[in-house]
Amino acid sequence: MASVKLTNVKKIYDKNVVAVHDFNLEIKDKEFVVFVGPSGCGKSTTLRMIAGLEEISDGTVEIDGEVVNDLQPKDRGIAMVFQNYALYPHMSVYDNIAFSLRLKKLPEDQIYERVTNAAEILGITEYLMRKPRALSGGQRQRVAIGRAMVRDSKVFLMDEPLSNLDAKLRNQMRAEIILLRQKLDTTFIYVTHDQTEAMTLADRIVIMKDGFIMQVGTPDEVFDMPDNLFVAEFIGAPKMNIIKTKLLEENGKYYVTPFGAKIEVDGDKGKALADRKVKSGDVLLGVRPEHIELAKAAAPHAIPCKLVVDEMMGSELHLHVDTEDGNRLIVRVPTLDLDKEQRKALVTGAQLYITFEGKAMHLFDPESEKNLLA
Amino acid sequence: MMKQYSDLEYLRLSKWQKFLYKIVSFFCAIPRAIGHFFKNIGGYIKKAALAVVGEFRDIGVTFVHGDWKTKVSYLVMGFGNIARGQILRGLLFLLFEIVFIVYMIVAGGHWMAMLPSLGKQGPTQDYNAVLDQYTTTYHDNSFKILLYGVLTIFFIVAFIYTWRLNVKQNKLMEQIIKKGGKLKSDREDLRSMVDENFYKTLLALPLTGILVFTVLPIVFMILVAFTNYDGAHNGFSNNLFTWVGLDNFNTLFSWKSAGGGQSYSATFGEILAWTLMWAFLATFTNYFLGMFVAMMINKKGIHLKKMWRTILVMTVAIPQFISLLYVSKMFARNGLINLTLGPQGLGWFKQPLPFWEDATWARVTVILINVWIGIPYLMLITTGILMNIPADLYESAKIDGANAWQQYTKITLPYMLFITGPYLLTSFTGNMNNFNVIYLLTGGAPTNPKASGAAGSVGYTDLLITWLFKITTGAESQYYLASVVGIMVFVVVALISLVVYNVLPSIKNEEDFQ
Amino acid sequence: MSKNENTSKRHMGIKAANRLSNGFIYALLVIISVIWLIPFVFILLQSFRVESTNQVGYVIPRQWGLQNYKNLWTSDFKRWYLNTFIISLASAVLVTVIQLCMSYTLSRFRFKLRGPLMRFMLILGMFPGMLTMIILYRVLADLGLTQANAVPGLILVGFASSGMGYYVSKGFFDTIPKSLDEAARVDGATRLQVLYKIILPLAKPIVIYTILTAFMGPWGDYVFARYVAFGTSAGYNVAVGMYSWLTNDQINNWYTTFCAGGVIVAVPVTILFLCLQKYYVEGVTGGAVKG
Repeated sequence: MASVKLTNVKKIYDKNVVAVHDFNLEIKDKEFVVFVGPSGCGKSTTLRMIAGLEEISDGTVEIDGEVVNDLQPKDRGIAMVFQNYALYPHMSVYDNIAFSLRLKKLPEDQIYERVTNAAEILGITEYLMRKPRALSGGQRQRVAIGRAMVRDSKVFLMDEPLSNLDAKLRNQMRAEIILLRQKLDTTFIYVTHDQTEAMTLADRIVIMKDGFIMQVGTPDEVFDMPDNLFVAEFIGAPKMNIIKTKLLEENGKYYVTPFGAKIEVDGDKGKALADRKVKSGDVLLGVRPEHIELAKAAAPHAIPCKLVVDEMMGSELHLHVDTEDGNRLIVRVPTLDLDKEQRKALVTGAQLYITFEGKAMHLFDPESEKNLLA
Repeated sequence: MMKQYSDLEYLRLSKWQKFLYKIVSFFCAIPRAIGHFFKNIGGYIKKAALAVVGEFRDIGVTFVHGDWKTKVSYLVMGFGNIARGQILRGLLFLLFEIVFIVYMIVAGGHWMAMLPSLGKQGPTQDYNAVLDQYTTTYHDNSFKILLYGVLTIFFIVAFIYTWRLNVKQNKLMEQIIKKGGKLKSDREDLRSMVDENFYKTLLALPLTGILVFTVLPIVFMILVAFTNYDGAHNGFSNNLFTWVGLDNFNTLFSWKSAGGGQSYSATFGEILAWTLMWAFLATFTNYFLGMFVAMMINKKGIHLKKMWRTILVMTVAIPQFISLLYVSKMFARNGLINLTLGPQGLGWFKQPLPFWEDATWARVTVILINVWIGIPYLMLITTGILMNIPADLYESAKIDGANAWQQYTKITLPYMLFITGPYLLTSFTGNMNNFNVIYLLTGGAPTNPKASGAAGSVGYTDLLITWLFKITTGAESQYYLASVVGIMVFVVVALISLVVYNVLPSIKNEEDFQ
Repeated sequence: MSKNENTSKRHMGIKAANRLSNGFIYALLVIISVIWLIPFVFILLQSFRVESTNQVGYVIPRQWGLQNYKNLWTSDFKRWYLNTFIISLASAVLVTVIQLCMSYTLSRFRFKLRGPLMRFMLILGMFPGMLTMIILYRVLADLGLTQANAVPGLILVGFASSGMGYYVSKGFFDTIPKSLDEAARVDGATRLQVLYKIILPLAKPIVIYTILTAFMGPWGDYVFARYVAFGTSAGYNVAVGMYSWLTNDQINNWYTTFCAGGVIVAVPVTILFLCLQKYYVEGVTGGAVKG
């Protein structure tokens, strides 16, 4: 139930290793913000600075308008869930969840009420007497969340809470976190390296790399309009195809020329290019695998290529294809779109034709790697 | 310098070439490591000088820009704190200043003044007419002068540090107030002693202990190396002792014959050589044999593992002086072994075996008994690590066709050496200073007749550390010489550690592999 | 034919080869056990020998008796034993507290002087400790804590610099995940509460290890104890006292008494040790090597 504001926050370790550069962000009350990025990008460090577990080298962190830089973690009104759960091994589940309440010297009957209440929500009532080591990974994760829940904290911090779980359990817990959020109705800051988690959970995503924020936006924004090449490649799976090509401007219309084809950048994107008076020149063309379609040989702008690998994912196929000049592209085809004959024809070495539409294209400056339209 | 191979070139070398290359690179790295160290020292000195200049500038700037409270604090420590509401901190500063000033006036000044001479007047004999006899009057005490002189210097350094802290605090307080922040109250200060400053609370007692009972004595003893402090100059009841510069180092390193025997430097060299040989053999025999025993007990299919281990571990529990003294007597000329197996017993040999009388016999016996002492401990240590080696390493080696010996040399040994690298280093230096084993077993015997002129009675199994002990407890109690030997032990240990730290990556990057 | 032979050799079986090598290992282990135990068995046997008090050429006493143990009772041994026991108990408490403070701090806190402090202590440790004996003796003498009063002196010196031996327990503390501290701090615990509510309960093995080694140390302490007691029997510990029985002019009268004393010293310590063996092994393997 609080806003969090980070102003020019920096983290500099000894020997001038900068982990976080000039981090600026305002998190609104009850917002669910996800920090995402590859390992070492500074996302966990930022979270830990908010928690007070890491000293803030420069800048200020405010929670509910109060500068908390010099406050101990316990005085910041936060709760936190750790990646490896950090359950106290010598205490039962009940004692684990009750720990913070006991430190606050709450009366035992109130503690009992709160702990059992949280346990019920999380479905761990029957394990309350057990020690953490007798629990499965998913159960431990629930206890860790329960421990954070009972604290009535202003901000809920989660540091890669699902990354120690197996894939199936992770999906299940992800859904439960969404439900939990609805119940708790408080501010969440969530750190993960998994873009799927970020996309499914977040109100807003903060994408980081090497200590810099690459983009802040809603899941839709970062997917549809990535600010730069890094975000474009990081968000979406399989990752976006990037093709080196040229942008041509003819009579106010824009074309790209991948693999000899000449495809018009039409729709809003073409208009936007014209509005900005973008000149012809080298460009990086990005197309998401799901926006490429298989086509007939005769189709306009069809690009010929050879099938190298096909991965059957169930509902869809991931086709890895080589174009004639040796570029590897990935094409994502819904299984339903293919009839039996077509499916049979997809063998290694098969000749295929692909096309994509102008509105699905992302254009990046090859020098700055910035989106031409951002 | 030797040729540096690239990775790919190195891979094409034959096994022996690789081995040779590694050995050569190891030794080539030593001068570089030492050079590196000295190059670093230059950097450190420069950095330190810059830091000192920076401190002085900051002190000046703080005074010029500070308000009157800060300025008063330059004279009356803690005034700024008290004036700004931090009563507790301020009073502590003030108390320290008062104690310091009183101490310096009452005692410290005197000790400091005497330190350069270590005392002017020794004990005098005065005729006492009433008693009709000479009585001794004691005057200065060199020992106390040196000890309290050092202590006073410590105190002065602490005072300067505290004064600087006091100045820094004032600067910080002004900054906080200017920004509109709130200073910590006394209650918050007290509470932080169990929270963010808990480490200061925890360290206070241990560090005070180390400072008084380790640092102070070591500084004192280093200084003794530059005096003539010995039994005949005990600094109090017979003669004062005084500074002699590097004379004692000259004595130890001179080639002049000492008291009719060989020179000090020859004696020192002999003892050092045996000390190093002993440390090397003691460390590695224990290490490999201990590992061997651990592997035997760990082997799949061996039953009663716990019993075998307990039998060995039991011997760790029995205080070493009992087992060492007993075994020492067992091997003596008229000890159990010679009496039962020798001419008076079963007659396996005609003459009693000279376990402690012959230099080589004694050295070998000492090492063997040390194996007996050390194996159980090494067995314990290595058992834990051996069990931690991932089983899939062995499984994959087996599938690759490695036999038991190859598995040992290619997997077990590298893994063990890697993990135990730091332990081996400390155990090597520990063995160099392994007083108990040598002293309780042989007392340094057999005596080395050539070294009869050297202080203490030097024997063939004496380590530097037992020699040091003998020097101090010997008839002449040449403390100054003991101190020089002690410094040399430090130099040797430090050099070895330095080289090993710089050459072996496994020690330097110890944490990377845990 | 030859191929058959080859395969049969190859198939001779892991089992048979294993049995052979295991038999060999058993034999070796038995020999090792004998070598390791025999001196202690000898001590035990000789402590019951009454027909002569010096070293003899046989092991099994011709005449059994408790004379040697009675000798212990009438000699100064009682005093030495009590001295050592008091020092051991005191050191078990004080040394443990100091070492745990030191190692916990160095494992958990990252303060500016941590690195320099650890390096400084490493360098200090390279000086032979014996060097400091001379001055410590004089200081203790000034305080009146030598000779007959050696016990408090030895306790003081023993615990005062024990902070230097923090390595083993720090190695253990390092294995307790830091996120537990962090979780507890977020949950509202002060550092002090983190220590006694979270870390200490988890550090039971190393606490017991530290107590055990601190308790056992003084039983074998010889050189400094001798220095401080300086010829006054009332200030001896068992090691110094019993050493004086084995000098060349004493050994023939006291050899068997020494054996009896050895038994009296070793038995309780060994029993204690074996009871707590589990923790000792855990400490040694967990902490000692990591360093």
